Parts: sequence; structure tokens; C-alpha cells
Amino acid sequence: MYVIIVGSGRLSRSLAKALLDEEHEVLIIDKDEAKVSAIEEELGSIYLLGDGCEVDVLEEAGTDRADVFIAVTGHDEDNLVACQVAKHKFNVPRTIAQVTDTKNEHLFKMLEVDVTVTSFDIILEHIKREIPIHPLTRLAFFPDTEVEVVELKIPSDAASVNKRIDELSLPSESCVSLIVRSGEDAKIMPSSDFTLQAEDKLVIIARGTQSDLEKNLCDTFTTPEK
Amino acid sequence: MMKVVIVGCGRVGAQLATMLAAENYDVTILDINPHSLSKLVPTFQGTALLGDGTDEDSLRKAGIEGAEAFIALTGEDNHNIMAAQIAKHIFKIPRVICRIYDSQRGEIYQDLGLETVSPTITFVQSFKDKLQQG
Amino acid sequence: MKPTSRILVPVCGNSADREAVEMACRLAKGNKSEIHLLYVIQVKRSLPLDARMEPETQKGETVLYAAESIAEELGQEVKTDLVQAREVGPAIIEEARERGVELTVMGVNYKRRFGEFDLGEVVPYVLKNAHCRIFLVRQPFPVK
Repeated sequence: MYVIIVGSGRLSRSLAKALLDEEHEVLIIDKDEAKVSAIEEELGSIYLLGDGCEVDVLEEAGTDRADVFIAVTGHDEDNLVACQVAKHKFNVPRTIAQVTDTKNEHLFKMLEVDVTVTSFDIILEHIKREIPIHPLTRLAFFPDTEVEVVELKIPSDAASVNKRIDELSLPSESCVSLIVRSGEDAKIMPSSDFTLQAEDKLVIIARGTQSDLEKNLCDTFTTPEK
Repeated sequence: MMKVVIVGCGRVGAQLATMLAAENYDVTILDINPHSLSKLVPTFQGTALLGDGTDEDSLRKAGIEGAEAFIALTGEDNHNIMAAQIAKHIFKIPRVICRIYDSQRGEIYQDLGLETVSPTITFVQSFKDKLQQG
Repeated sequence: MKPTSRILVPVCGNSADREAVEMACRLAKGNKSEIHLLYVIQVKRSLPLDARMEPETQKGETVLYAAESIAEELGQEVKTDLVQAREVGPAIIEEARERGVELTVMGVNYKRRFGEFDLGEVVPYVLKNAHCRIFLVRQPFPVK
């Protein structure tokens, strides 16, 4: 694959290194000469000095044959414009933008940036996984297919305690794929007559719109008994 | 009264805001820099607000909902492009005009449905005309 | 100076090639060194690095053949290499390292750019980054 990265912070250097190790072709574009020479020292001549939002620069970079275009400049507006130019002028099939201000995420999606990555979200998910702020943790979400993998912990007062899995109303396309109970072996693909206990940890795979799905799962597994 | 929101209070933004307000448009002008706003003449009859044109909350405070036109005139092309696209796609403002110095970038966004003005092209033309009128 | 056993001469098809090759041959005679002639085809990013570059490959072969003939006139055998790279400077450095050369000889035209003397990008890059010794042969001022 040919991957173009706009912006040359530590993030893009590590990314470039990982891609090069996998034998992909990589080019980093940045307008800051000092940053660019740091790349050369670390990774060799895989850079282009210039503004990654400019048509001429992207043309010189051979953007029309890029498979993936990644914008990680640290400025949302520059990331947006770089991705839009790559997509609409050079028909790059996959554009990925870093979004610093989470409020901008829906705008980027609306304007057809294929993937947005928010460090804020990633950090938040990591912290949530460590601290039980919420009984449900999103482990993975695949936007193209609307499939989500979540981790749930059954609270001790939940209505689902002492119920069998098939007694609960799960969302239509979903399955409990793993149950972890302390002091016991983890159960991979438990049978539908498995009885839940308080403090069980469940990994569930489900399909649906993200917000509906999470609400639905919380209702089923974590709502307190009336 | 037609409501117009202008983002960017430089020389062009400030003068345009003043002129439109004098012609009875309901004008609100936004800038992130209080120093820029202070350049508006005391007779300016519109509203001047401190705020970021790419921030939806700032735009709401400027009364963008219900505006009929939006003009992006900050010094940064990409800032203008992002603000204009927010106005067009999120707030559905009927007329969105955006200054883009880089004419090639301007063409792309023209194709994507923004009304763009490239000062570079306009200036080159006017200097050339001036010279040739001789 | 220690005897040099391997010399690299990057050529590019301009008039300075001849003097660089001649100088390398003279230095080689005494030490019975190997001479490597190198031509780098710069591949634009709009093409994959291994793209077939027909006219450029032909030009490279012609330039290398001409340089080889100069060496043969002086009774020196040479090896030739034609490589494709994104940037010329790094390609020369890479080749010098791979071949373990102890000396690189480069010819330089006297050129002006924007009214000022200009060495181009390649020579300063090689001077800055090559591990080996570098000789530059700058041509005299062009005759007016």
C-alpha cells in the first residue's frame, strides 16, 4: 500500500515506522523544515516539504495513487481540508483524520472523511475500562458494518442476576461470546441456558446503531430489579 | 431585515460589516481577537462578538440559526473553509460565501458547493487591467 | 592519503562527467582500484519506485556507456550501476555504503540560479552525509 501522512509529529513518525516495517510505501508531508529533517534522520528520505492542503504539493506526492491518506497535523481545519482535497481532487479511497475537538467529529463524517480518530475518545475509553464509571465499555466498533463489541459487568442489584441468558431479551442480532466469573474458567460461547450471577463480566457482539444498542444492552443486563 | 453573519474582523470583514449595517442589514461579526473587533468604527450599527467561527456554540450565540447569509473572511483559508462548511451543512444557511486565497483550493470547494472568492485572482486581474488601461 | 581500493563516480550526463571520470581513473591507476560508475534515475512520487522508466533508462544507459568509454580510453576497467530512487543524494550515499567505497568523485558544473552561484541539492547532501572521502571537480567558468 502507498500511505501518505500529513503532519510530522511523534504520532506520524511512529505510524510511518510501523508501516515501513510492514513494507508499505510511506510519505510524510510537512511544511516545517526542522520537523522534516528530524524525519530524515530517523527514517530516511520519505518526506516532502510542503503544505499538505495544496493541490501542487499533493500532486508531487503522487496522491492519486495513494491507497490511504492520513491527516494528523494537530489542527482540525487543516486535517479536514487535506482529507477533502485528497478525496475530491485525487480520489483517494480511504481518508483518515485526527480530530482534536470532539465536537467536530460529526462535521468530518458529514463531509465524507472516511475515518475520524479522536485521542480524547481513546483515552476516555481506556480510563473507563479501568474505572467502573459505567457498566458498559465499548471494546470495538466497526462503523461500516454497525457491529460493536462491548464488555458488561452485571451489577449485584440487576434484574438479570440468576436469569438464564435465554430468559433475557437480547437485541435481535447479538450474542454473548464470553463470560468471565472470578475464580472460575472463562466460558467462551456459553450455552443459552447459562445462568448469570452478580459481578459476571460479559463480552457481547451485537449489530445496530451505536447509541440504541448500548441503551438496549444496559436495559437488558444492568437495570436494577424492581 | 436580512440577517448576515460575518466571521473574521480584518480590514475587509470590518469594512463589509460596516457597509452592510449602514444599508440596514442585520449584521453580526465574529472574531477570536478582541483587538480586531476594536477596529470597528464607533458608528457600526451591528453586533460584534468574540468567538471562533469554527465553533458551533459561538456561531449559535451569534444567531446563525435564522441567518440568510454567512461570509467567512478570516486570514486563514482552511479556517474559512471549515467555518463555511459548518454554516452550509450543519446550519443550512442559504448563502455561504468564503474567501480562499489559494485559487486551486478555491476551485475544489466551488465544485463542492461553496461560493468562493479568490482575492489572488481578483487582484491579479485588477492590476493587469490597471496597467493595460495605461 | 591511504590507497583507495574502491571509487564511486556518480554521473548525470552533463559536461562535468568527463573530468570526474578522468580524475577517478588517474587516482585509480596508482592503487589498482575498482571504479563504480553510478547513474540515478529519479522517480517522481506519482509513480511507484519500480515503475518502468523507458526514456530515462535509455538516457542512463547512454550516459553510463559514454563514461565507461572515457575510462576505457585511459585503460581503466569500470563497473556500472543504474538505479531508480526518489532522491539522488540519498541514493548515492546508499550506493557508497553498500559498495564500501573509500572515495566518491563528483563533477560539478559552474551554475547560477536566480543570479547566484548554485551547487544544487545533491552535492551539499552528499558532502554532509557521506561516510567516505569526497573529491569535487568543479569545471572552470563557462567561456563567454
